[in-house]
Amino acid sequence: MDSPELATMPLPVLEPIKGVKKAPLEEYFTSGHRTCQGCESALVMKLMIKAAGPRTVVLGSTGCMYVANTTYYSTPWVVPWMHTQLGSSGSAAVGTAAGYRALMRKGKIKKEPINVISFCGDIGGADMGLSAISAALQHVDYNHLILLYDNESAANTDIQATGSTPYGAVTTFSPTGPAKRIFHTRWKKNTAAMLAAGHPECRYVATVCASYAVDFMNRVRRALTIGGPTFIHSFDPCPKGWDYDPMLSHELGELAVLTGIWPLFEVEDHTLRLYGKSKAIAEGRQKRLPVRDYLLKQGRFAHFTEDDIDYFQAKIDDMWTQWLIPGVLPFAAEVLNDTPPA
Amino acid sequence: MARTISVEVVYRGIFQKTLAKNICRGIVLAARKEGKIGIAFGRYGDSPERNGIPAKNFAIVAPDEETLQLSMAQYEPAESDITIAVDDTLCKGVESWAWYGLQPINEKIREGGTLVVTSTLPAGEIVKFCHTKAHPYRLAVIPGIPSFSGLWVYKDDHTDVRILGALPKVCPDLVSLDAMLAAIKDEWKSDLKVTSARRSYEQTTTRTVGPGEGNPEVPYKFDLPGWTRMREGVTIEGMKLGEPIQFGGQVGGYRPQRNPYFKKYTTRTMRPVIDFDKCIKCTLCWLQCPDSCFDVMPDQTYDLNAEACCGCGVCEAVCPVDGCITMVNESAFTDNKSQWEMWKTNKDAYRQWVAEKIGCRPERSHGFRYKGQYEEQVASMGAASGGGQGGGE
Repeated sequence: MDSPELATMPLPVLEPIKGVKKAPLEEYFTSGHRTCQGCESALVMKLMIKAAGPRTVVLGSTGCMYVANTTYYSTPWVVPWMHTQLGSSGSAAVGTAAGYRALMRKGKIKKEPINVISFCGDIGGADMGLSAISAALQHVDYNHLILLYDNESAANTDIQATGSTPYGAVTTFSPTGPAKRIFHTRWKKNTAAMLAAGHPECRYVATVCASYAVDFMNRVRRALTIGGPTFIHSFDPCPKGWDYDPMLSHELGELAVLTGIWPLFEVEDHTLRLYGKSKAIAEGRQKRLPVRDYLLKQGRFAHFTEDDIDYFQAKIDDMWTQWLIPGVLPFAAEVLNDTPPA
Repeated sequence: MARTISVEVVYRGIFQKTLAKNICRGIVLAARKEGKIGIAFGRYGDSPERNGIPAKNFAIVAPDEETLQLSMAQYEPAESDITIAVDDTLCKGVESWAWYGLQPINEKIREGGTLVVTSTLPAGEIVKFCHTKAHPYRLAVIPGIPSFSGLWVYKDDHTDVRILGALPKVCPDLVSLDAMLAAIKDEWKSDLKVTSARRSYEQTTTRTVGPGEGNPEVPYKFDLPGWTRMREGVTIEGMKLGEPIQFGGQVGGYRPQRNPYFKKYTTRTMRPVIDFDKCIKCTLCWLQCPDSCFDVMPDQTYDLNAEACCGCGVCEAVCPVDGCITMVNESAFTDNKSQWEMWKTNKDAYRQWVAEKIGCRPERSHGFRYKGQYEEQVASMGAASGGGQGGGE
């Protein structure tokens, strides 16, 4: 971690943004992308780069945010952007950071802080690209951020199930029908905590939700300024795959946090902090809302019976009452109610 | 005498995907009842489709397989006998995944062909949206609120069979009413659906749209390089940074540059109307807009760029002030002018304009909001929609 080369690599100065009125005016991801109405992942791109600023290179692995944003000969990106393959957001991040470091060492470009951000969707990051991200988080002498935008399905190609799809959700791979009401029985992967726990040298891992824009941008700024490889997992409501009125995008992000389904936390230099509403929930200052408030606003859960809702609720309750670290680490004294309804 | 007949369904991506599929499938099934052959398919370039972004499905019916295959040499028919717009705001023109620039809704309609539109507006109002054509065509309006649902839960408000029922009327060569009703009965096993289709057949009328009638605007288009003119590595220019805004003597705020090759506004079925007098400058509409369609004005209010807005409604949802941002039916507008400039120029006139626009705010369904919503909506439609829930005779 204290390699001489890293010590000489300049890091950017990005102060925390104090409130919505202090958000930078400049857009580096602008209008004219072919995303859905109310696309929360497009908002993630916009806030991510608004926080990072102009001296940034963005790499994108295959997914909605690649396909919709770079249709034939046009782009909404102001900063340099490059596509990389579905499973290679980790390798692209390391390679780009290493390339810039070499160019600076050889004096071919000015020595200055250049942010490298590599984004991936949930299939590119949490499933297929997981090994490359894991490797990237071990290469501690390169500065870069890997941002996983998680819309809980392969949304670009018509909503196939992934390891991040929640229990019971309808996808193209998991339809509901008279013979089998619940097709997708896997519980959502806990990617951020897995990467934090598994990469002790990685100095910053966080979960975010773009419904809380200032918290979101400040997590990006922390990840870019701390040094070394970092990872952020963003929770992105998706009107297409979750089947809801696009105007609910913002509200569903808030509801996921307020119901406790999506805990907001950060691990900075081995210190774990819940933050925002999730902190308030853990400290008992905010009552967790029932998960039905979140589930029944989405067509992908419209087939849920009361039993299914109860099961989902029980799993979330366990997460906050039985887990060793509530909402983060599932090593529990005992996990209750782990039998799905028939 | 028998010939190939092409039907094009222009629909809102995702929201009307199942509806468009049902219509094209119904046409082909009905054609088979008469010993014809047909094929239903989506336009390749429209997949993967997105919420609201216009997309197309087709049904081609031919007397025999050889004729059908001949017409399938193209992946999209060069001209249509019937173009169906399942949402009336599509009549303003469509910009899709599959092409660049604005395509008039009636672009493919052959001379004497028919445009079928679902709308609560009278035909005369719809004609004003449609771009002019050099040859005459016909227009049929299926009265009703355009049917929107999502990928997984379908709103069965009988729009599919009401459109199918109208087709034998507007184009008897396509398929007979009897064949259509038999196909509907087989496919949906519902007498109510058959009744809806028959009623639609009886009620549908068409009017002729003459040459030069309609919107005279020249649709925008772009010249993009083919693969032989691409740069090494398929690299392209990035977007430029934006600039502060100058208005009168005032300079300030920020207007981003916007992708000139894709404007996105034909995705919109509702448009935010901003009451600037109520704005508390909280920034949320601007900050939370996924499409960056708000400009920061010199007085720190936020103006909508109506060429970039796709009408998701998130700004209305996050605005903390009641009645400051209101989503209004897109059919109430004929241009994309700056609301802020109108307000700056004449505040009284602007207030009147806002009141008038908010007044025409019919409830539009914009997808799934809560479990049970579609059932409630369908039940409340009843006969007013010409609807299927009216029952027997």
